[in-house]
Amino acid sequence: MIGGKIAFVSGMLVALASGWLAFPRILYKTRLQPVNFSHKVHAEKAGAKCEDCHSFRDDGTYAGIPTLDKCSGCHAAAMGTTAEEKNFIDQYVTPNREPQWLSYARQPENVYFSHIAHVKLGHVKCEQCHGNEGGTGALRPYQQDPISGYSRDIWGRPVNRIALRTEGGMKMDDCVDCHRRQGLEYSCLGCHK
Amino acid sequence: MTTTRRNLLKFVGGGAAGALLTPAPWRLITDTALWSENWPGIPRPARGEIHARFTHCTLCPAGCAVRARCVNGQPVSLAGVKPHPISRGALCPWGIAGHHLPYHPARVRQGPVKEALAAVARAISKRGAGERVAVLDLRPGRTVSWTYRRAMAAIDDGLYLAPRQPAYSVDLTEAKTVVSFGAPLFDGWGTPGNVFAARSTFRLVQIEPAETRTAALADVWLPIRPGTETAMAAALAGETTVAEAARVTGLEEQAIGAVKEAIASGPAVVLAADPASPLVNLNAKFHAPGHTVIARREAPVPDAWEKAAPATEVAAAPDRGIRVLLIDESLPGGYVPWQEIQPKLAPNAVVVVFSSSSEGYARHAQYVLPAPVFPEAAEDVGPAIDTVAAVFRIAAPLVAPVVPVVNSGELVARIAGLPQTDPLRERADAIHKAGRGMLLNYADGKSTPVKQVSADDFWKTLNQGGCWMDDSGKRAAPPGLGRSVPCPTLHDELPLTVVVAEARRGGLESPLMSKLERESNLRMTANALAISPADARANGIENGGRCVLETACGRLNVVATVDAGVPAGVVEVASGPRMADLCGASQRARVVRA
Repeated sequence: MIGGKIAFVSGMLVALASGWLAFPRILYKTRLQPVNFSHKVHAEKAGAKCEDCHSFRDDGTYAGIPTLDKCSGCHAAAMGTTAEEKNFIDQYVTPNREPQWLSYARQPENVYFSHIAHVKLGHVKCEQCHGNEGGTGALRPYQQDPISGYSRDIWGRPVNRIALRTEGGMKMDDCVDCHRRQGLEYSCLGCHK
Repeated sequence: MTTTRRNLLKFVGGGAAGALLTPAPWRLITDTALWSENWPGIPRPARGEIHARFTHCTLCPAGCAVRARCVNGQPVSLAGVKPHPISRGALCPWGIAGHHLPYHPARVRQGPVKEALAAVARAISKRGAGERVAVLDLRPGRTVSWTYRRAMAAIDDGLYLAPRQPAYSVDLTEAKTVVSFGAPLFDGWGTPGNVFAARSTFRLVQIEPAETRTAALADVWLPIRPGTETAMAAALAGETTVAEAARVTGLEEQAIGAVKEAIASGPAVVLAADPASPLVNLNAKFHAPGHTVIARREAPVPDAWEKAAPATEVAAAPDRGIRVLLIDESLPGGYVPWQEIQPKLAPNAVVVVFSSSSEGYARHAQYVLPAPVFPEAAEDVGPAIDTVAAVFRIAAPLVAPVVPVVNSGELVARIAGLPQTDPLRERADAIHKAGRGMLLNYADGKSTPVKQVSADDFWKTLNQGGCWMDDSGKRAAPPGLGRSVPCPTLHDELPLTVVVAEARRGGLESPLMSKLERESNLRMTANALAISPADARANGIENGGRCVLETACGRLNVVATVDAGVPAGVVEVASGPRMADLCGASQRARVVRA
């Protein structure tokens, strides 16, 4: 009788440990960004502002991650002495090869998101969705869920976000929750055009 | 503890219970659902540079301005253009999903171009005395229509055929009362943005048997007895008494009297489901011509184009006199039932159709040549019925043709021996030379007098996002109004009135329409009808049962839906060429058990 209880509890503990500790580690496939970019260095030493690189075009569309042309404007030749910059120039600027950045916030294909509507009209801070990315010294590894194909940032950093909490990610629930809290309209065709 | 089978099962049971208390199974369920959205075969737009491009929708004569969000040059979503003074940023569900059409699996993808040209050339050279070469243009008023007209003028005995067109435009903003005999005012009648912008300024009286979406949104809906609209019109015109109209139409005398009073109290306009219907002659009785119903100037054309064949209705063409018939069905437009066309064809006639769908005239033609669909072709869109001033707007292509398509204008011009030029550019130059009107640039929303713009900039703006709008000019009464309203006719042998359940824009539809439109309407196929329970009982027809729809033009085996929402005396059918061929212009039918 006692042996049976021990077996049951043991099985439960193994499942709990696997589900809470091992599962999050094996769920995401981790990849490194092509360049070890420091937002902090660019902001503090070069005095760059977010919108200097992540800008809006004249027609209101959002440029997103800057292309090599933007980077080459300053880094055609080395400005400092770091190995990261030298590697960037050798690997990408000189051969004119576009870095294949991995976008943490890439939404699925069926989602339309307007940055200008949120930033200029809604006065939403970049950090509200992207966290303190602009203050980091190095780009964190990109983690992708191989089953859904989405970045971990879309789901949210904690693995246990199962429709119970609606903050910290970029899922539809997060968008709807924010709109609902602020009394804004939300409908299917707003995002799924 | 010994390892027994029972303990092993308890270990597994404990594991299962513990797993339910972890995120793993719940997360895997969500991930599996997301994974299923990414199965192979699901189209994926390209990733890359995001930018906006402007064009105009050609899916109906409204020609709404469109802002396309493009990724790597590929349009991924369409929206309206707010600065546009007519479409006002609105776009209908068909327009929103228009960029899907080039990839429609049912579109015509190839055609025997060389064989068709050879057959046409042979037929033209061997035609007998009095045998004609004709072009049937389902969307007259475009620049390519002028090419057809010029081509038919260049050919001996050439004939330019077009469906009946309203010779007027309607200014809704000037109307206090709109009396609509079944016109789908809120469902594709005019330019959606323009109609809804003017909605608060007029009172709508919708007269039609079925409760359509327009009827549901009207201020007053008068559910008239099917087929008695002319009696109502006669009463409004004062040609019969209100009591007599009430007896025939099934409406209350008070309701008819209220409509008469509303019309008499201020500016009014009368609309009909068919804009060329004699019912609109009622406008002449209410002093609408020159106020709410006005003549519209056409956009200027080059002087050399003035020598063009006039538009002729199919009914006016000589019987058995057309040896070669070229039909431009590339855009959804006014469909002429095949029963009207067939008697006009010579026994050995060659019929060539330019179409993207195999549903329409392709069923009757010897040669079907693939036509471009929106947004593949560079063409202009003529003015809509609610556009007061002349306009010139170009539907700039957003994608290269997905299949090898035939440019019908070029081909007809070649057959007629016209020089190969760019008619759109020639017309733009003619408009610029005329020097009147304004050029609206969608990118900045600014209007500039044409006189202040160079010809090249004018052309560039038209192609990159802009339109020309004529000066309002002096309001004039349109020609052709003033005849008396038609007399009521009786149809004892065909007791039901055919009502088109849904205004469709063409044969091809995006799968997204299942999200944007009522699925019941999309499911209304050419071999189905809806009938009231009373009529179904009277004819022994069961829900889902097979029956025969009989009209003056023929019979069709169909599946019946018994729908309490359909009024007695009405049979609802889907729009489209098959039903138009069957029902013709009479719109009367009988349903019998198969």
